[in-house]
Amino acid sequence: MTNAYVLNDIKVVHQQNCVLDIPHFTIPSGKCIALLGENGAGKSTLMNLLAFTEKPSHGSIQLFDQKIVDKLKPSQRRRIGVVSQQPYLLAGSVTDNIRLALKLQHIESSRYPFLIEQALEQLNLTQLKDQSAQSLSGGELKRAAIARAIAYDPDVLLLDEPFSHLDQRHIRQLESAIQSFAEQTDKTVIFSTHDQPQGLAIADDTLNLHAGKITTAPLFNLFHGALNQHDFNTGKLIIHAASGLANARHIAIDPTEIIISRQPLESSMRNSFNGHVVLIAQENNTVRLTIDCEERFQVIISPESLSQLSLALGDNVWLSFKSTAVTVF
Amino acid sequence: MTYFIDSLIAALELISSFDPYIYRIVATSVSISLIASLIAAILAVPAGVFMALNRFIGKAFIQHLLNTLMAMPTVVIGLLLYGLFSRLGPLGHWGLLYTPMAVIIAEAILIFPIMMNLTITAVNSADPRLKPTLISLGASHFSLAINVIRVTRFAILAAIITGFGRAIGEVGAAMMLGGNIEGFTRTMTTAIALETSKGEFELGLALGLLLLIIAFILNFLLSWLHRPKS
Repeated sequence: MTNAYVLNDIKVVHQQNCVLDIPHFTIPSGKCIALLGENGAGKSTLMNLLAFTEKPSHGSIQLFDQKIVDKLKPSQRRRIGVVSQQPYLLAGSVTDNIRLALKLQHIESSRYPFLIEQALEQLNLTQLKDQSAQSLSGGELKRAAIARAIAYDPDVLLLDEPFSHLDQRHIRQLESAIQSFAEQTDKTVIFSTHDQPQGLAIADDTLNLHAGKITTAPLFNLFHGALNQHDFNTGKLIIHAASGLANARHIAIDPTEIIISRQPLESSMRNSFNGHVVLIAQENNTVRLTIDCEERFQVIISPESLSQLSLALGDNVWLSFKSTAVTVF
Repeated sequence: MTYFIDSLIAALELISSFDPYIYRIVATSVSISLIASLIAAILAVPAGVFMALNRFIGKAFIQHLLNTLMAMPTVVIGLLLYGLFSRLGPLGHWGLLYTPMAVIIAEAILIFPIMMNLTITAVNSADPRLKPTLISLGASHFSLAINVIRVTRFAILAAIITGFGRAIGEVGAAMMLGGNIEGFTRTMTTAIALETSKGEFELGLALGLLLLIIAFILNFLLSWLHRPKS
């Protein structure tokens, strides 16, 4: 499998603040990847780097195993389709915008009608093809921008917060459009979102950004502190982690890897904390518990486990997890 | 007061009777200013677009220089060019002194910083998403500039009209370099200065009114270009 992107020793510094710090990361081609993180986590900066509209302060990026030294060659630029958080459409119709993209990408003009029609159909925009870009609604505008980005058949589609400020109907339309593009052979889709369930719903993999650092673990049970050898001190708890990174400042613990019990367990698990239940929430076929052990932990269990343990709010419980369930970054 | 009103009536009569002397001056003035504006625009618009779209060492210095040049008195430009074009000057053998070309060069130099600065403002005031969008769609340096000009064309046109307005109202350099030669380098402003000093107040007033009409038309064009979009 080829890699769409390889990032090496990337640092982005804005006004003396390091907003992105990625020692090494690989994005394989043919995947639909959700880039998760809160506002200000560095998602847009990373998207700009992947789109090559911003240069890192330090480090290098490879696109399909080719190191990009200064600028993308036209043939490399053609491999990337970009849709920004608030897409900008130039004055003119939807078709005019798609035609401009094809022209800028030096596509043969005889292919314009076919490619424009294909892009409009894929995004269900055929009826709006002659409508002025200025009169489109938020959802239509995003779909038009995606149509413009995929018209020249790129290998990678980058979407920065495609679902923000949209109603459910438009979100569903966009989701199916993104999925239909991603289902094509060897197409890579990377989209950023701060909505974790949405990212998990349509992506093959998720990447999490937190304070400019990347991790593949879901960002539940996120704690900040300092790592000393294998002990991570949150300020309230010492959590044992299996592996450590120099200068790591955050850990995340997979909520499905945490075991709840009434009594302390005798096991190989290195982390065991006593606390009480402060929240019980049923979500689809799972139950989400919040346990307060000085720090608050999110734990996901099955409804059967909940009834077996007959847990109620305020109950005293023990939670245990392996040090390998702790992701340090 | 009677003197002023009588002069005004005489001036209006001169305008309405299409006095050839007046209209020859207007034609000279307009043609010199148009050519100067065209030359300045050809240089200032690409320079302004380049400066607005790129970051480079010395950009802030150039911006300060442009701001300074915008405020430079026209007689200073006249003086410098007089030194260059006069018979003993380094470019004296070109024989440009007291020709329309000398006035055109002076006016083009005068309005270049105005047009360039306003072009920079026009491009900078475009939507900040325009440049990254065009780059992400594969625009080269050249096609980026062309598309930015296309999007900001009305503001850039306004920059050119502002430059033309400044050129047609200029008097110092036109007087020093053109020499106010009738039918050759006599522009509206130099003629007003001359006719008034000769006591031909109504002639000066007629030219002044025509200059005002031109200024009004230019301002009308500018406000039409800047009209709020529905």
